[in-house]
Amino acid sequence: MNLIPSLTPKDFKSDLKPIWCPGCGDFGVLQAIYRALAAIGRPPHEIAFISGIGCSSRIPGYTTAYGFNSVHGRALPIAQGLKLARPELLVLAAGGDGDGFSIGGGHVPHAIRRNDDITYIVMDNQTYGLTKGQLSPTSPKGLHTVTSAYGSLENPVNPLMYVLAYGASFVAQGTPADMPGLAAVIEEAIRFPGFAFVNVQSPCVTYGEEGQQIKAHKAVMKHLEDLGHNPGNRIEALDKAQSYGQALLTGVFYRDPDPPPTLGALVHERQQRLMAGAAPRARILDMFVQH
Amino acid sequence: MSSTKSIDFATLSLKDALDLAVLIEEEARERYEEFADQMETHHTPEAASFFRFMAGNEEKHRAALAARRREHFGEAPSSVTRAMIFDVEAPDYDEARAFMTLRAALNAALRSEEKAHAFFVAALPQLKNADVHALFDELRSEEVEHQELVRKQLAQAPPDPDLPADDFSDEPVGQ
Repeated sequence: MNLIPSLTPKDFKSDLKPIWCPGCGDFGVLQAIYRALAAIGRPPHEIAFISGIGCSSRIPGYTTAYGFNSVHGRALPIAQGLKLARPELLVLAAGGDGDGFSIGGGHVPHAIRRNDDITYIVMDNQTYGLTKGQLSPTSPKGLHTVTSAYGSLENPVNPLMYVLAYGASFVAQGTPADMPGLAAVIEEAIRFPGFAFVNVQSPCVTYGEEGQQIKAHKAVMKHLEDLGHNPGNRIEALDKAQSYGQALLTGVFYRDPDPPPTLGALVHERQQRLMAGAAPRARILDMFVQH
Repeated sequence: MSSTKSIDFATLSLKDALDLAVLIEEEARERYEEFADQMETHHTPEAASFFRFMAGNEEKHRAALAARRREHFGEAPSSVTRAMIFDVEAPDYDEARAFMTLRAALNAALRSEEKAHAFFVAALPQLKNADVHALFDELRSEEVEHQELVRKQLAQAPPDPDLPADDFSDEPVGQ
């Protein structure tokens, strides 16, 4: 691993200009990611950014890291495969709330239980913006959209409760309305050894409600530290996470004080143990033919 | 969380105050550049051109402040960071809108200048160092001048078309 302390956010900015709607929250998230990566200090060629499909899933292309804009909902399986094959890379996964909690929802618990060292950033805008504003898994009940003309009848998924209940070791939330705070939690998530989840309330300027925009966030957001929250206590984190959709709490909800070993570390340990008694590679074919 | 929480105005030295002022201008320049890029991407040349002009102005202010900093303190290491400021003079991200008129862009800039002015006004009573106080007072009065300049341009800008904003929604496009 190379650490280059002189890296700046601009070193992570690609030549591709974002085509998000002007005013989109994802612009601020992208800047926060640049800042977090500069603070981490690993050069772009040691970083891989995997995404699914959606407005926010364009994000790898706007960075100078290696990127893979994959298929809908499949950022996590690809990120896990990459991390297993190339454990030395810093692997980030990103996408929207639909990508992460609807189409890709089945992958989240498995990424958590495997606990590979991946940071998963979800840009939660409570809508399918790219396809023109349909209900998404985090849309609030009663929301009027093109697919819910009389208001949604469904309860939203609570991404924070979801990942905490499955045992995620690092769970945080941020908003581009507080970019220094968002950059700080993304940096902390990347530094955390294991699966780390950051839910970003990233407003959709075209289809989002007025109360979900950046100015509204600035007026209502509260930092967990200011509330005296203890991020080492999962039960307290679950309690605070219940406020999702009612209040905007930012910062670290949960950080395992004794992080379990990552999947990569366990795989490495097993490889080392089994290799001690393994036959030389040259003999494998012979053994296969004999049996 | 307040973005300026970590600035202790009472103990702010002139070196740190100049560095802070440089960072504020730098952030504003970058935000205006971002807005100009967004407007160009979405085929809104008048607003793009105005935001590019604002970015140029912020860069001039930044360069002048940086020169003063070098003159007084040379290359002495800085102890303030971008994490200590946010949106002081930079327009809020959601000020940008698809197909902004020149008038809308000018109004966004005016709100940013007013925001910066409010920042310096709020900081002034907390400052203990006379040199820092003089610097912040100078910066505060510059914000008033900038507001006047933007207001003059607003007075000359053509009126907005009388059309519903929804007609100008700019949905995502292929890349």
